[in-house]
Amino acid sequence: MLSNSQHPEDIRLETNLKTLVFAFVCVISFALLLVRFLQLQYFEYDNNLKRAEENRTRKVNIKANRGYILDRNGVVLVRNRPSYQISLLYNSLKSKADKDSVFNRLLRITNQDGKRLLDSAALAFSFERGRWQKFRYQRLIEDASQEIVALFEERAEELPGIEILIESRRDYPFGEYGAHIFGYTGEISEQELELPENSHYVMGDRIGKKGLEFSYEKEFRGVNGFRYVEVNAMGREMGPVEGMPFVKAISGNTIVTTIDWKLQEIAEQAIPEGLKGAVVALNPQNGEIYVMVSRPPLDPNIFSLEKKELHKAWASVALDTAKPLTNRAISGAYAPGSVFKIITAAAGLEDNVITEHTKYKSCMGGYKFGNRYAKCHRASGHGMLNVIGALRESCNVFFYQAGLDIGNRRIGEMGRNFGLGATLGVDLPNERAGQLIDSAAYEKLFERRGWKWSHGEVLNIAIGQGALLVTPLQQTAMMGALAWGKGLYRPHFLKEIRSPEGDLIKEIPARKISEGRLSERTRELVLKGMYEAVNAPGGTARRAIVQGIKVGGKTGSTENPHGDKTHAWFAAVAPLDAPEIAVGVILENAGGGGAMAAPVAQRILHAYFYPDTLKQVVK
Amino acid sequence: MKKIDWLFMTSLFALIAIGIALVYSATSNTDLIWYRTEWFKQIVHFSIGILLAVVIVFLPARLWKNIAYFSYTLAIIALLFVMDSGHISKGAGRWLDIAGFRFQPSEFAKIAYLLASSLWLSKHRVSILYPKTLIVPGFMFIVPFLLVLKQPNLSTALVFTAMTLVQFYWAGFRFVDLFLFISPVVSVILSATSALYWNILIICVFFVSIKFKFPIWLIVLVMMLDVGGGFVSKMMWNSIEDHQRSRILTFLDPMRDPKGEGYQVIQSQVAIGSGGIFGKGFGEGSQTNLAFLPEKHTDFIFSVLGEQFGFFGVFIVLILFCILFLRGIMICRLHTDSFVNLVVSGACTILFFHTLVNVAMTIGFMPVTGLPLPFLSYGGSFVITCMILIGLLINMRLKGGNIY
Repeated sequence: MLSNSQHPEDIRLETNLKTLVFAFVCVISFALLLVRFLQLQYFEYDNNLKRAEENRTRKVNIKANRGYILDRNGVVLVRNRPSYQISLLYNSLKSKADKDSVFNRLLRITNQDGKRLLDSAALAFSFERGRWQKFRYQRLIEDASQEIVALFEERAEELPGIEILIESRRDYPFGEYGAHIFGYTGEISEQELELPENSHYVMGDRIGKKGLEFSYEKEFRGVNGFRYVEVNAMGREMGPVEGMPFVKAISGNTIVTTIDWKLQEIAEQAIPEGLKGAVVALNPQNGEIYVMVSRPPLDPNIFSLEKKELHKAWASVALDTAKPLTNRAISGAYAPGSVFKIITAAAGLEDNVITEHTKYKSCMGGYKFGNRYAKCHRASGHGMLNVIGALRESCNVFFYQAGLDIGNRRIGEMGRNFGLGATLGVDLPNERAGQLIDSAAYEKLFERRGWKWSHGEVLNIAIGQGALLVTPLQQTAMMGALAWGKGLYRPHFLKEIRSPEGDLIKEIPARKISEGRLSERTRELVLKGMYEAVNAPGGTARRAIVQGIKVGGKTGSTENPHGDKTHAWFAAVAPLDAPEIAVGVILENAGGGGAMAAPVAQRILHAYFYPDTLKQVVK
Repeated sequence: MKKIDWLFMTSLFALIAIGIALVYSATSNTDLIWYRTEWFKQIVHFSIGILLAVVIVFLPARLWKNIAYFSYTLAIIALLFVMDSGHISKGAGRWLDIAGFRFQPSEFAKIAYLLASSLWLSKHRVSILYPKTLIVPGFMFIVPFLLVLKQPNLSTALVFTAMTLVQFYWAGFRFVDLFLFISPVVSVILSATSALYWNILIICVFFVSIKFKFPIWLIVLVMMLDVGGGFVSKMMWNSIEDHQRSRILTFLDPMRDPKGEGYQVIQSQVAIGSGGIFGKGFGEGSQTNLAFLPEKHTDFIFSVLGEQFGFFGVFIVLILFCILFLRGIMICRLHTDSFVNLVVSGACTILFFHTLVNVAMTIGFMPVTGLPLPFLSYGGSFVITCMILIGLLINMRLKGGNIY
């Protein structure tokens, strides 16, 4: 039997037999299957058809609740609210008469004012779509109000196929406050659906579009579930079916932020009505952001509105020339103004180009460089000052001369050392890097305008004008890191990720992004200048004094092409010995930094150090 | 050079077209952009699969001999790899990511094992009378079988088993040999469920082996395995917990649990039955659209066919499958080379076994194992596997004559 010497004809016969056996098995088994199909589809047809038509069980997807956003003390900043969608399930309308009567009844529904709720063209379109997608819900009214829901519930019996679906939408209880931090959600776009990381979404799902909603979408999202429900003949859900699989939706995680909501409210209220600008407050020791305000304000609740309303609201904010959608604290790039003088001073002191004894030509209200006359902000002049006095009184003439000695390269290095000219990596989208450039990059940037770097450009740089741009966040972080002296920490909002039940999932450690190296001597001198700017007679920021607290700060008033008045800058840090909080304020075209911006910072600092007297301050 | 089999090609492309239409119908309710929908992805899968099959057709037939053992080794390595680093997302660790592509090593292993065992069996005869001859092919079978079983993917492991039995038959086993060969497994299953059938089996094995004059040592060995296996299985059956026992019984007969495991099968039967003779029409049908069937476009695609096209549609599709398998197996008659014969019979077995088990599952004849239906079910890896098998069949038909 094991011999291989079979005759070829035998092999052929044997193969033919085997193929026949295979074919036989194949035909017989398929024939048996067909018998069973005949039994199901012919002999038991009536019974099966009846069972199919009476099938009241449906699988219903359960959308997961989006995670909440809390402040550092547990105040709920962003939560969810139910939203009602009046929808049509076309398949429930069996006859033509049904369809016509429902269509006409829908058209006749009016609100209290006698206005029709549904437009006949739009309704006809929904019915037409329904004809093609019989088993899909066609949304007739999005985010219906309680009154509208009541109207439809009263008429439920005469409106088969019309169902009220409940969705969860975002709710921002504090309205405009913090809107730029939280961002908003919206229906997922086709471009977003294409991305591989969004494969869990279907069209119509809501996704974070901006702010923290965008940054932590993965945490907020949760996991959808499903269950089986029994429906009545009208297609309405009657309740769950016992014994059937029920997979609960898992709510998204809660994000505990570093925001201090009391301070945030103070800051929101402290900005004078009608001004544009931004406020940032953070902890320089670890980069936790306490406060971030951007003006003009934005009401995030408009993004949860019905589509029609949303379009109107959206058009009004998107076309607004004041750009309320922009988070100016991270996406607004401004000339740093005189606040930048502390970088110039630090650069000069660190490399011993200047010392505390260095004195330059006396300030007579301006400085002549070549054929150009550069003014100081005080026309009568500051007289002769050392570096501390120059910081206190913000003397341009001192820094023009010091800048020429120090040079653009040293100033640039010191700026980069404290996070300027690059994004800080804050956990919000659209952070800008600002601008801090050397001569070569300068020429490249302005190539098309034909501008060449000249030695005189350093005059502008030294006082924080010219080819320099910073974001309010950078300005604040720089101030804080310089005073803290132990490094620049990544500014961030995420403090903890917690499960919906409140269990800690992840804690976010502080991350140093730059060493912020500075000799003790340099820091001491710069901080002294900052201290005197606030506390000494003649200081520019005396409106930032907080009783009993060593506050240091630096004002700035930058000229700009957008208005007559200067942008008002103020950056402060306190207490100077062991900095706990750094505050940065910019108010566009508001006037002088000391007059306009410093009081805003003062209120935040006061509230931080004297939380008990908070109420009086608010008044 | 044999000519192209147009009957074979026609039924193949008819099945592919029907499959895409059914996937479209089963998933048209989701509101996705067209290029993200399952039916469009399925067209992409088939485009890739057909291209692959065309390439395979034009390759020299002896190439399969050359790469057989190499690809087998590769497949085993891939299977070992998914054991710990597999994609967890699908529940079972079955997936492997390579260069952005996600594929199932068990699918690749089907083809690799087919080639490798065909090559071995074409050079060595196997006989139940000489157990030594079974060591290598047995080992070649048991390694991927256990690895796939461990995933756990019982249904694919059964595909390996079916393929092995058919190939052994082609390599010289008689029916009676196969019967004795698998009798211990049957004994294990029967002893747990029905004492009467188990007794009949043991008696049959005894008389058959006497009748066909098997040597005494073999009869004793087989009887010991059968009886021993039966007792061990009976003992284990009695010692396991009630809920475990009930899970096994529910697997074998889903109707025991009409609201859990059996729910899908009952709904599938109602869907098929309510289709009647001519069906409810393309895109119609409340069962597949509203009520149930989480895997209607993959494992239960045949219920969609049954509901929308009725007995008529079922009949046509089963005839198409039948033509495909019969024309496929007849390739064996064109060539005498045993490697060609083994590859063809193995490939046909894989396709046939999938079809039979899947269709039988939708009408409650077999457990819900999760074997997809060739050419009709949605799914990238499996479409590619099927098209590779088709490519191999055509390649063998055209070039199997001058394989040396």
